[in-house]
Amino acid sequence: MKVPVSLRIAALAVATTGFYTYVGQLVPQKEVHPPAEVAISKDMKPDEMAKVGREIMEGKGLCFTCHTIGKKGPLRFPDLEGVDVRAKSRVPGFSDVDYFAQSIYQPSAFIVPGFNPGMPVINKPPIGLTDDEILAVIAYLQTLGGKTTVTMQTKLPYQAGGNGQAAAGTVAPPPAGPTGGPAATTAAAPAPQNAGKKPETPQNPNPSPPQ
Amino acid sequence: MMKKGLAAFLAALLGFAVIVGIATFLLRREYHAPYRAPAAVTQETPRAQGIADEKAEVEKRDKEKPYQEVEYRQFPKIGSRVAVWIAAQLHLLFAAFVLAVPLFALAIEFIGYRTKDRRYDRLAHEFTKLLSVSFSLTATFGAMLTFGLIILYPKFTTYLVSVFSPTFLPYVGLFFFEAFFLYTYYYGWGKFSPRVHLALGLGLNVVGTGIMLIANAWLTFMTSPSGISEKGALISTWDAVRNYTWMPINVHRIIANVAFGGSVAAAYAAFKFLGAKTDEERAHYDWMGYIGNFVAICAFLPLPFAGYYLAKEIYAYSQTLGLTMMGGAFSWLFIIQAVLIGNLFLAANYYLWLGMGRISGAEQFQKYIKYLLILVATCFAVWATPRSIISTVSEVRAMGGSAHPALQFLGVMSAKNTAVNILILTTFLSFLLYRRSGKTPTVSWAKAGNRAQLAIFLVAATIVISLGILGYFVEARVRIGFSIPQVLSVLFTMVSVTVIDVFLYRNATKTGEVRWGQIAPISQYVLIFIAVTFTWLMGLMGYVRSGLRQHWHVYGVIRDTSVDAFTPTLGFATRIVSVCVLLFFLLISFVFWLASLTGKKDWEPRPEKAAETERPGLEPVGAAE
Repeated sequence: MKVPVSLRIAALAVATTGFYTYVGQLVPQKEVHPPAEVAISKDMKPDEMAKVGREIMEGKGLCFTCHTIGKKGPLRFPDLEGVDVRAKSRVPGFSDVDYFAQSIYQPSAFIVPGFNPGMPVINKPPIGLTDDEILAVIAYLQTLGGKTTVTMQTKLPYQAGGNGQAAAGTVAPPPAGPTGGPAATTAAAPAPQNAGKKPETPQNPNPSPPQ
Repeated sequence: MMKKGLAAFLAALLGFAVIVGIATFLLRREYHAPYRAPAAVTQETPRAQGIADEKAEVEKRDKEKPYQEVEYRQFPKIGSRVAVWIAAQLHLLFAAFVLAVPLFALAIEFIGYRTKDRRYDRLAHEFTKLLSVSFSLTATFGAMLTFGLIILYPKFTTYLVSVFSPTFLPYVGLFFFEAFFLYTYYYGWGKFSPRVHLALGLGLNVVGTGIMLIANAWLTFMTSPSGISEKGALISTWDAVRNYTWMPINVHRIIANVAFGGSVAAAYAAFKFLGAKTDEERAHYDWMGYIGNFVAICAFLPLPFAGYYLAKEIYAYSQTLGLTMMGGAFSWLFIIQAVLIGNLFLAANYYLWLGMGRISGAEQFQKYIKYLLILVATCFAVWATPRSIISTVSEVRAMGGSAHPALQFLGVMSAKNTAVNILILTTFLSFLLYRRSGKTPTVSWAKAGNRAQLAIFLVAATIVISLGILGYFVEARVRIGFSIPQVLSVLFTMVSVTVIDVFLYRNATKTGEVRWGQIAPISQYVLIFIAVTFTWLMGLMGYVRSGLRQHWHVYGVIRDTSVDAFTPTLGFATRIVSVCVLLFFLLISFVFWLASLTGKKDWEPRPEKAAETERPGLEPVGAAE
């Protein structure tokens, strides 16, 4: 029996489409839901803050879309293993909390040598972490090579209503840099292959993308 | 007659049975008062009063109801997202076709005008036959999409209107001119001087491109918004238009539309070839299919470069968005894309190799086909190799990790960039061999020219492979930069080798003719396969472009709070893409069928009926006048 041409063409179209649909079923199937909000209370202890901070980094903060912990080799973004050690010693006069706060609120202020600018402003959409959530993230980052010293009462100069005054238990605003902007701090720790290299002159990276 | 009568009786009987069935079904659902035992004294039920009170209460409530803006409405059964997705996808597929066909129809018409070869004019006319119905379908699906957005996503649509309202009037104006140019171009074929007709075609293309640029501004704004404040208030419509991804999408879409349009036109030719009754018809449609496919492949070769440009701008706008695309939720989608593009390259090469069979004197090149096939298959395999694979615990143990110890090196960008560039070079080489079949150059510098072409090929391949290998040993920033010299060396090869070839084969002696129509029928199924694959690829890439925003209508500005505010699985997405593709081919078959009616004879009554009408007393109405 001779199959009509139109039927053959239809069968080919259906078979081709069916094959691609089948390929689509072979790859990992994952629904991606908007990140869940994490409950934060003002009386959290440092270890609780660090735990919540990790959860935020995995979820709403989208940190691990780019950053890694303990990954070697050529990386697109700095690896965070032992970041607190580098954060303390990177810039004289800067505490690790200064370092982390600026890299989260003003990520374009300084780009780690060897990397391209790319970190978004974390307290604005689309990520939009709150000040409390950022404190929790800093608490977790401190555990990567150090100990959590930040508390839910710590005032950061970038926070809403922050006056930029350094006081006991608060973080000093970063000193002015050569271009009149904040001085060079690292946006995050350098990746292993850049360790020991002389930091380059602070860049004035491309303006932030329009939001 | 008896049989027809019996069939009509049975059909009527069946129809009656169906109606009775429906009536019975409905009557069963009619309200019946519950059975009550008769009482000695029947108390009058104040039912009527109760109903009246209820009605009054509802009326009162309705009158006092305050106006509330609705954020979302639900489309029944399939949901709002899928409804808008299907309408948008079908609109885009027909719009791409309607924008692409005039581009190459005009070019073919121009070639016919310059060479005075009427075949080209006929071919261009045949391509435009597919346009008018497709244009109507584009408009229909455009209206469905617009109403879908207004009804199902009213708040988001209001926001888009607030940003882009100044662009709507020009859009409508251009649409009107598009209709004017399209119908004048098609119905005016042969009715104007060639120059006027070409000018109409040019107008059609300019206006069509203008429409696309405006529509692209709306959709790219959703991914990479600009020209607005942090709170989303409009600052500048022009800045909103020329957002980060607008120009890359414009470039990518124009090229992709031509590739898609060429492949669908080639599928039409294949459909006609397979149903052709005469050798002349077969020759014509074989040629038409070849031209359509040639257009598709010519546009397809630079398409990955336009894709790089788009991806680069997405990364420039937001690294997070770029990484979501390539390393996050959508990373596996690019493995599916590799399968599709690999198939396209394989099929395009196969068609060219089959085409060599209809050229006398092509035998000398056929010995190279097996090597080309090995290259294409190897590159395809590399491109489709994922970095990590889904594996069981025992498999992970055996491999020593989630990635295969050897194959993992093929799953990274260095390997994939190298594979796709070599794939493009190989396909270009196939085309070059096809072009040379049956010809011998006569220029004095023929040998030097051949050597120069070979040298260019070898240098380009060396650059591509060397940078690909080097990419494994340098930091990411440097590695990303390698894709530019890789792409440029391939582009340079394609342009320079083509230029040399044109001069090399000018006034070449023909050692054999192209026997149009004498190609294996399977080649025509290959053309249809290419068209289906292109369409599916467009659907898939449309999904990633749109899905990239994840739970945002406008990335970082208007958040999706509907029930669909999540990214579905790739399996679900591919099923929707398939539905769209099948619907498109169902509708485009209708367009093909309508286009094929134009060449058919007018309807005439069959001889027996004609004889009946000739009998006295059965004259048709008006015959006496």
